[in-house]
Amino acid sequence: MATTTSSRALPVSLMPPPLPTWKRAARSLLKAKWPILALLILGIVVFMALFAQHITPADPNRQNLIERLKEPMTYNPDGTIKYFLGTDGLGRDLWSRIIYGAQVSLAVGVMAVMVGGLLGTSLGVVAGYRGGRVDDIIMRLADIQLAFPFILLAIMVLVVLGPGVWNLIPVLGIGQWVTYARIARGQTISQREKEYVEAARSMGARDRRIMWDSILPNVLAPLIVIASFNVASAILAEASLSFLGLGVPPTVPTWGGILNESRDQILAGKWWPAFFPGLAIMLTVLSLNILGDWLRDFLDPRLRGR
Amino acid sequence: MGPYIVQRLLQSVFVIIGVTLLSFLTIHLDGDPTYLYVSERASQEEIEATRAKLGFDKPLTEQYFSFISGLMRGDLGMSIRSRQPAVDLVMQRLPATLELTLFAMLISTLVAIPIGIISAVRRGTPTDGGIMLVAMFGQSIPGFWLGIMLILSVGLQLKWLPISGHVPVIDLMLQGDWGQALSNIPKAITFLIMPAITIGLFSLSRNARLVRSSMLEVLSQDYVVTARSKGLSERVVIIKHAFRNALIPVVTMLGLEFGFLLSGVVVTETVFSWPGVGRLVTNAITQRDIPVVQASVVVFAVLFIGLNLIVDIIYAQLDPRIRLR
Amino acid sequence: MSRNPSRLGKLFLLTLLLVLIVPVIANAQTSDENTLVIAQSVDIGQLDPASVNSRSEANIFYHMYGTLFEIGDDGSITPYLANAYKVSEDGKEWTFTLNEGLTCHDGEALTAEDVAYSFERAADPANAFTGNTAGFVLPAVGYMGTRVDDDLNVTILTDRYQSIGLGLLSEVYIHCKDSYSAMTLEEAAQNPIGSGPYKFVEWVPDDHVTLAKVDGFTLRETTFATQIWRVIPEASTRVAELIAGNVDVIGNVPPDQVEAVNGSGVAGVQAVQGTRRIYVGFQFGENFKDAPGYDALQKTDVRVALQYAIDVPTICAALLGTECTRATGLVNDPNGNPNLQPYPYDPVKAGELLDAAGYPKDANGVRFETTLMGPRGRYLNDANVVQAIAQYLTDVGVVTTADIRDWADYRQLTGPKEVGPMFFLGSGGGTWNALYDMADLSAPDAGTNYTNWQNEEWFTLWNSLADIRDAGQEREVINKMLEVFYNDPPWLLLYFQPDFYGVSNRLDWQARRDEQIVIYNAKLK
Repeated sequence: MATTTSSRALPVSLMPPPLPTWKRAARSLLKAKWPILALLILGIVVFMALFAQHITPADPNRQNLIERLKEPMTYNPDGTIKYFLGTDGLGRDLWSRIIYGAQVSLAVGVMAVMVGGLLGTSLGVVAGYRGGRVDDIIMRLADIQLAFPFILLAIMVLVVLGPGVWNLIPVLGIGQWVTYARIARGQTISQREKEYVEAARSMGARDRRIMWDSILPNVLAPLIVIASFNVASAILAEASLSFLGLGVPPTVPTWGGILNESRDQILAGKWWPAFFPGLAIMLTVLSLNILGDWLRDFLDPRLRGR
Repeated sequence: MGPYIVQRLLQSVFVIIGVTLLSFLTIHLDGDPTYLYVSERASQEEIEATRAKLGFDKPLTEQYFSFISGLMRGDLGMSIRSRQPAVDLVMQRLPATLELTLFAMLISTLVAIPIGIISAVRRGTPTDGGIMLVAMFGQSIPGFWLGIMLILSVGLQLKWLPISGHVPVIDLMLQGDWGQALSNIPKAITFLIMPAITIGLFSLSRNARLVRSSMLEVLSQDYVVTARSKGLSERVVIIKHAFRNALIPVVTMLGLEFGFLLSGVVVTETVFSWPGVGRLVTNAITQRDIPVVQASVVVFAVLFIGLNLIVDIIYAQLDPRIRLR
Repeated sequence: MSRNPSRLGKLFLLTLLLVLIVPVIANAQTSDENTLVIAQSVDIGQLDPASVNSRSEANIFYHMYGTLFEIGDDGSITPYLANAYKVSEDGKEWTFTLNEGLTCHDGEALTAEDVAYSFERAADPANAFTGNTAGFVLPAVGYMGTRVDDDLNVTILTDRYQSIGLGLLSEVYIHCKDSYSAMTLEEAAQNPIGSGPYKFVEWVPDDHVTLAKVDGFTLRETTFATQIWRVIPEASTRVAELIAGNVDVIGNVPPDQVEAVNGSGVAGVQAVQGTRRIYVGFQFGENFKDAPGYDALQKTDVRVALQYAIDVPTICAALLGTECTRATGLVNDPNGNPNLQPYPYDPVKAGELLDAAGYPKDANGVRFETTLMGPRGRYLNDANVVQAIAQYLTDVGVVTTADIRDWADYRQLTGPKEVGPMFFLGSGGGTWNALYDMADLSAPDAGTNYTNWQNEEWFTLWNSLADIRDAGQEREVINKMLEVFYNDPPWLLLYFQPDFYGVSNRLDWQARRDEQIVIYNAKLK
C-alpha cells in the first residue's frame, strides 16, 4: 500500500500546514462536480429540517377527510396553490409532511450515527490500543453483532420496546457500531507503533491522553466517510422498519413512514403519496453516498502521505 | 491451518451462545404473551391454563436455562403456535430463503463484475459516469418500494414475470428428487428474478463500485505497468493479473454480504409472499413464538459463521500473510 | 473481435440476460376451470380441528370438516351432518340426529360416537386445547358432556339454556374417533382426517394449502375438483394477483384499490356489510383512574356528548370506501332496537352538552385532554380511523392524543384490560340472534367486557333472560337492554366493519357477512 513514513512522522498539530483544507476541498469539489449537486441537495434537506416549523404552508398533522388524495398542484379558487404535492390518505398536506419528515428522518439518521459512532469509535480505539484480552472481548462482541442479521435485532427490540423515535435511534446506532469499531481499531493499531506515540509515552503521558490527542485525529478521517454512508443506510433502515410497522408511530411524519402508509394507494393510481417521499429518500441517500465517495477520495491521498 | 480452524470453531460456539442470549433477552423483556395464544372470547380459566401450559409463568432464568440445556442436546424447543419442533419449521423454509439469497448473490456478483470492469476500463468516459450514477441510485432505493414497483410494473402491467409464489428446487434436491428439481429450475427462475433484484440491487451496485475501484487501483500498480510495458496484450494483462486481485475485496465482502442479504430477506419475503425463514421469523416475533425465534436465530448464526469461515479459509489461501496470525 | 475486455464484459452480460429471458418467455399462467384459487393474508398454524385459532384456519377447516348444522350469515339453519335436532324441556340437553351412511375421509363410518368424541376431545383438559372450540364455544354453551343415545343420535349436555346454543354447537368440526384416538397431538397437528366436502392434500407452510374434492360426499354440491388456498400477506400483491387472473377470490381488498379492481375487467369487488362491531371503548376500570380524562369520561353526559362529535358517515365514506349507517348499539341489523336513532354528527351540540356537563373551553379552547389507544394492522384501516377520531374529538375541545400500537402489542394489553382511557377495538358478531352480539357483556367481569362497564340495569336484565323461553318476551328485554346501552354508552358508537372481497368475473359466488369464506358452492358462470 502506501509507502509511508519515516519514523520521523509528526503528530498532526506539529506538521507544517499544507494548503488550507477548505481551499483544497473547494478545488476538489469543482473538479468532481457531482458532489456539488449533492451538497446542494443536502443543504436543502438540512434547511428543511432546521426550519420546518417556519416554512410549512400547513399543519402536517391536520387531517381533512374530505380533501383526501387530492392531486399535486391543486389550486385554490383564487389561483394560489393549495396542495403543492397533493394530499395523503387522511387529507394531510403532503408537502408539509415531507418537510417535517426531513426533520425526523435526518435527525434519526444523524443521531443514530452519533450513537453508533461514539460507541464504535471508543470501543475500537480501546481495543486497538490496549490489545490483548480487551481486544479479544470487544472483537468477539463484534462477531456476535455481525452474526445477527441487523433487521432481526431491530425487530425484536422494537417489538418489545414499542415503536418510537427514542427507541429507534439507539437500535439503529447499535446496528452500526461495528463498522466504526473495526476501522478505528485498525487505524489505532497502525498508529500506536509510531515513534511519536512511544515518545509521548516515555515522557509520561497517560494512555487516555495519547488516545485522544494523537490517535483519534488520525482515525477520524475514514470514520467521517463511514458516517456519511451510515446516515444514508440509517434512513433506508428506518424506511424498512416502517414497512414492518416498527418505525415511528403514524402520527409522526418520517419519509419512511409516509412511504409505508401510502403503499396501498399505488395500485389505485394515486402515485404521489408514495412517489415524493420515495424521491426524497432517494435523493438524500444518493447525495450522502456521492458526498461520502468524494470525502473518501479527498481524505485518502492525505492519509497516504503520513 | 488446523489450529486456526479449531480456534475459529471455538469462537463460533461462543458467538452462537451470545446470539441466543441476546434474542432471548430481547423477546422476554416484554409482558405476557399468553393473550396471543387464546381467542378473543376466551374465559379467564382458559387464559390461566394456557399460560401454565406454555410455560410463561416460569421465571426468566429458568426458561433460558431450559432453552440452553435443550440447545446442547440439539433440541431447540417446540413451536408454541404449531406444536412442531421449532427447528423443523425453520428447516422447512430454509431452502426457499437459501434459493432467494443465493440467487441474489449470484446475480449481484455476476452482473457486478463485468459492469465494474467495463466501468474501470472506460474510466472517465460517459459510460463510466452513467454506470456509476445508476449504481448510486441502486444503493439509494428503499427495498419494499422497489419490490412493490417491480410487482406493479413488470408483474402486473407487462406480465413478464409472475407476481408472487414459489417453485421448489433446493427442497426437491434435498429430498432426492433431482429430476423434478432440475426441470423446475426455469420456472423457479421466473419466480426468483423480481425478489432477487429487490434484495440484491443494493449489493449489486455496491459490488460494481467495489470492483471498479479495486480494478482501478490494481491497474495503476507497478506490476501491471511492468506487464504492459513488456508488451503483453491488454486483455491478457487485465484478465490474468488485475482480475484476480480485484476479486479479493468482493470475496471478502461475500461473507458479510450473506448477512446483509438476509436482512433484506425479511421485507422482500413479505412483499412477494415468499415462503421462507424471513416471514417465519417475523411472524414468530410478533406472535412471541419464542422457540421459533431462537431456532431461526441459531440457524442464521450457524450459516453466517460457516460461510464466513469458508470465506476466511479461501482468503487465507489467497493471502499468505493472514495465515500466520 | 478486438482485444477489448469491456467488450468481453458486455458479451457476458448479454449472455446472462438471454439465459434469464428464456424461462420468462416460457412463463405462461392460465387459470384452470377445475381449480379454484383463494388467497388469504395469513397462513394456518396447524391442522388439528380442535385447535382452530384464526379466521383463516376456520375458512379452510370449514371445507375439510362437516358440522352438525350450517348457519347462514342471515341466521338460516340448514341441516348438514345432522338432519334434525331437539332441545329438552329444561333447555340443557341438545339431541342431534345424524344422516345415515356418513364417513370420514379415511373411510371410517361417522356415527354418533364420533360426534361425541369431537366434543370430548376438545374439552379434555389433558389435551389443553386453545382455540375456538375449547376456548369459546364450550364455555359459552356451558358444556357438561355428551351422551351417545344410539348410532345416529347424540346428546350434548349443558349447564343452562342458551338460545344461541344451536349456532354455537355448529361451530365444532366433527371428526372420527378411531382415526384421531390413534394419533398423538403432534401427529394430529400435521395429519388432518376430515369429514367434509374437500379432503386435505398438502400444506406447504407459508405458501398454500391444497384440498381435493371428495367424490362420495353427497350432502353438498361442489364444482371444483381442487381448491388451492394461497397465502399472500401483502395487500397490493394480493390484488395484483387477482387482477392478473391468477387468483379467484381474495379478502381484505384495501378500500382505495376497489376502483382499480372493478375497472380491471377481470374481477370485481363485493362490498359486504360485515358483522364486526367497531367501537371506541371508554375504560371504567380502576387501573386508569389517574389517566387524563378519566374522571370526565366517567360521566354519562360527557360520553353522550362525545357521540355527537364524530362524523361516522364521513369516516366510512373516506376511509372505508363505503356508505354506512352509524351503529345505535352493539347489535347487528336486523336484530337491533328499531326505535333507536343513530347519534348524528353535530359538533355544536357536542360543545353545548360538554358545557352543560361542566367542561367548558378554556382560554386555549381545551375542555380536557385524554388519550385514545388503538391498534395498527388488525381492522380495516384501523390506524387511520383512530387518527381521524382523535382529530374529531380535538376539534370539539377534547384534545386527544392517538397512541397507536402494533396489533400483537395491543392484543396483550386488551387481554388484561389495560387499555384506556379510550381505546379502539373490534368484536366479531353475528346476524342470527341479538344475544350473540350482546354476549360480549354477559357479566361485569366477563373477559370480553373490555371497558369494565358496570351498569346494574343491563346485567340484571341479562340474567333475567335465562328464565325466558318466549321469543316475544325475549325481544322486549333485549330492546330495553339496548336502550340502556344507548343512554349510558360504554362505547363511542361507530360502525360495523365492511368487508371487501375481490372476486374473479368467472366465478358465481356470494360472499358472507360474517367474515367466513364458505366457497364449496362456488361455480363457474
